Amino acid sequence: MASNKLRATQQEQEDDTQVDMSPMIDMVFLLLIFFIVNATLIIVEMDKRVQVPIARYSEKQNDKMGRIVVNVYSDEFAGEGRFRMADGKEVFADDEDLVDFIKKEKENWDLKGQKSRLHLRADGKVHFTYVRRVIRAAAAAGVNEVIFVSLWSRSS
Amino acid sequence: MARHRRATALDEDKPELSISPLIDICFLLLIYFLVTTTIKQKERDNSMALPSAAPSEAQPDIQPFFIKVSNDGHIYANVGAAQELLDTEAQGTERILPVLDQRLEIYAAAAKAGNNKPLVQIYVEGEAEQQVVSDVLNHLAKHDISTVTFTDLVAQDEQLK
Repeated sequence: MASNKLRATQQEQEDDTQVDMSPMIDMVFLLLIFFIVNATLIIVEMDKRVQVPIARYSEKQNDKMGRIVVNVYSDEFAGEGRFRMADGKEVFADDEDLVDFIKKEKENWDLKGQKSRLHLRADGKVHFTYVRRVIRAAAAAGVNEVIFVSLWSRSS
Repeated sequence: MARHRRATALDEDKPELSISPLIDICFLLLIYFLVTTTIKQKERDNSMALPSAAPSEAQPDIQPFFIKVSNDGHIYANVGAAQELLDTEAQGTERILPVLDQRLEIYAAAAKAGNNKPLVQIYVEGEAEQQVVSDVLNHLAKHDISTVTFTDLVAQDEQLK
C-alpha cells in the first residue's frame, strides 16, 4: 500500500546498477599471490667493486639460468681475496676451491636440466693471468662456455 | 515531510572515504622515488665457447686466426717470423681496434665462403689488462666469432697472490 512517491524512489534505487568490486579485487590478489609463490626469482648479483670492461658488441643478458658467477677483483680490492663468489664476500682460498665450487654448481644446474656457463665478472684493470686461472678452473670442472661480463658504456 | 527527513539523515550517516589525501601522498612518494633513483646500467654478455675445455680429435678444416695481446696492451697477429703489430691501443669511447677489425672481417668472410666455422686462438701475456682482452673479444663478437681458444703458454706455477 505504498504511496506513489515511495514506489518511485524504490524503483530509482533498483535502477542504479552498481558493480561490486570486492570479488574482483579478491581474485586479483589471489592470482598475484599465486604467481609470486610460483615464480622462481633468479637474480645475478653484481658487486659494485668490480668495474667490468666495456664492450659495444656484447649482448643483453637474456637467460639467467645456468650461470656460475665468479668475481675477479683488481689490485685495489684484491687484499681481502682476488677471487670471490657472487655476493663479493665468500673468498676462494685457492684454485682447487674454485674448481670444487664450479663442479658443485654445475651439478646443481645439471639436476635442473640446465647447461652451466661461467659468468665471469672480471675487473677491467685486472691482469689476465688471474682471469685465465678462473677459465682453467672452469675447464677442469667441465664448464667450457664462458660469459665475459661487460658494460655497453661507462656513461652511467 | 517526516519520512523525507529520515531519508536524508540516513544518507548523511553513510561514511565516505576521502581518497584525495591518499592520491596526494602517492604522487609525492612517486616523485620522490623518481628523483632519487639512479638507473643502474645493466651488465651484458660476451659469451664464448672455449673448445680447450672440450677438445675434439678432429683437425679443424680452417687455419685458425692467431692473435697475441702483449703485456703493454699491443695487439699482434700471427706468431714467430710472421708476427705483425696490428693495433697499439683501442680508440675512442667505443674502444675500436681498427686494423684487427679489418683483418677479422676478411677472415670471417673467408671462413663463411668456405662454409667453415671461424676459429680464433688468442695468446694473452699474463700482465695484459682484462679490458684489452675484452676489446679483442668484443671485435670477435662483432664478426660472429664465438669459438675461441686461449693458448695456455704460461707456466703452471702461477700461485694465488
